[in-house]
Amino acid sequence: MPDYRANTSRTLRAGLRYAIAVAIVATALVLSLILQVPFGNPSWFFFPAAIVAATWFAGVGPGWLAVFLSTLAVQFFFIPPFRTWILRPRDIPFFTSFAVCAIVANRLVAWRNRTEDSLLQARDQLEAKVAERTSELEKANEALQGAQAELARIARITMVGELAASISHEVNQPLAAVVANADACVAWLALEDPDLSEVRAAADRAVQGATRASEVIARIRSLINKGSPQRMPVALNEVIEETVDLIKGQATRNKVSIATVLDSKLPPVLGDKIQLQQVILNLMTNAIEAMTVVEDRSRDLEIRSEATSAAQVRISVRDTGIGMDPQLLPQLFEPFFTTRAHGIGMGLPISRSIIEAHSGRLWVESVVNKGSTFHFTLPVEDGATV
Amino acid sequence: MNEAEPIVYIIDDDPLIRGGIQSLVKSIGLRAVTFGSASEFLAAKRPDVASCLVLDVRMPGQSGLDLHRQLVEANVHTPVIFITGHGDIPMSVQAMKQGASEFLTKPVRGQDLLDAVQTAIVHDREFRKDWIELESMRSRFDSLTPREVEVLNLVVAGLLNKQIADELGTSELTIKTHRAHVMEKTKAESLAHLVRMAERLKARAHRQG
Repeated sequence: MPDYRANTSRTLRAGLRYAIAVAIVATALVLSLILQVPFGNPSWFFFPAAIVAATWFAGVGPGWLAVFLSTLAVQFFFIPPFRTWILRPRDIPFFTSFAVCAIVANRLVAWRNRTEDSLLQARDQLEAKVAERTSELEKANEALQGAQAELARIARITMVGELAASISHEVNQPLAAVVANADACVAWLALEDPDLSEVRAAADRAVQGATRASEVIARIRSLINKGSPQRMPVALNEVIEETVDLIKGQATRNKVSIATVLDSKLPPVLGDKIQLQQVILNLMTNAIEAMTVVEDRSRDLEIRSEATSAAQVRISVRDTGIGMDPQLLPQLFEPFFTTRAHGIGMGLPISRSIIEAHSGRLWVESVVNKGSTFHFTLPVEDGATV
Repeated sequence: MNEAEPIVYIIDDDPLIRGGIQSLVKSIGLRAVTFGSASEFLAAKRPDVASCLVLDVRMPGQSGLDLHRQLVEANVHTPVIFITGHGDIPMSVQAMKQGASEFLTKPVRGQDLLDAVQTAIVHDREFRKDWIELESMRSRFDSLTPREVEVLNLVVAGLLNKQIADELGTSELTIKTHRAHVMEKTKAESLAHLVRMAERLKARAHRQG
């Protein structure tokens, strides 16, 4: 059915084109007849013009029709004896040269039109190709960014996993020594006449093992605390803006819009800028991840800074994500607790310990299927504003 | 100490664990010899007595599994008790496939280890007794002449003297003499005993072959 309609409209358009050709030739004829009265025969010059015009505007087929009609008209009206179809032999060269001129004009215009058409076509193809390549490039870029993020995440998890494995091995080894030696002590003491030197040696080794285990723990702790946090005045609004810049790409990819509501008179706090940025980044990343499955409402992330008193500022990160079961909230800040399939559950415990090391507080309010808001407070840098 | 007393070899790179296990083993009256690595163990001279190995899976240099494989390949049948830091399933499967007698995870409970050690020593003692018996049996069978071996094979196959004589193209009397020699040389108490010994030797040759 649509084919039929397309055919019909094509036929109509073709008919129209032929009609235009006829009209142009007719106009040429009328003009020639009118001008023949004052200027005589040479007014048939209108016909080549009509052929050119018809071929140009109406196309090749109508052009041929124009050639044909013009030739007939010239023969009938402008070659003596006028208004008859009689062609005297001496007029044949003129008639023939007119016909040839008409055909040449027609051909030239048709050739020019064809060239233009193919040029246009080539341009359209080029544009389509460029658009296609651009979208391919964009897709590849997105995939690349996704892969990079995934890679970073895996690297982080792998690092933590390896760290945990090596820590547990390092601690387990001396503990195994403690157990073996304590067992040996007990075994010797169970004998009727225990060899006390053996008992003493085993007890001694148990002590050494326990000491080694606690040394391992101390070493890990010093590793974590390495580079004790700097205490410098930090403008949290700046930190927030920098963090928003960092996370923009991730937000856009996840169709999350970020709004900042920053208190322009926010006093600086005293602390380690890098650590505080880590906390904000972590909270924002969590917020975005909490919204990735939300489809029935807009995904909005709002980060707000405000001075709640002269001595304290509060930063809030609010999302419209899946929210959390109130029963889960108490465990939220415990190490290795996670609600995500791929989470490692270290982000919030680390964030909380950072905030607490800054004499602040980190807590959460959450409603299932509405979203969560994480708040942290920090004391204002006192006296240093001088 | 009596040379025939069994020995427990303890191979662990951690001196505290080594010392603990050694003390534990000594407390039940067994000899315990410790080594810090697989190569130390391989270089040491080992008396020919019942023994077992307590082996840490993860050691710097040659791992416990490597050492075990090497021992199996060298036809050393000392039972091995593995100790590992984590319940590493693929590793324990491999160890069991190689014929480890026990696989314990750190920290090992003293009693578990002692039980494993005692079981392993009992196994090794039996294995060694068996082996010594087989060896003497084999040397006895090796002393047979080719003709006697032929007769032995046919006897074991269940043929009567007359049939054997026909088979070998000789007189029944000659076969009787050969047969008496076979019984005497192999110290067989009866035909049934002879057949059992021959079967055991054959089975062993098969296993090693």
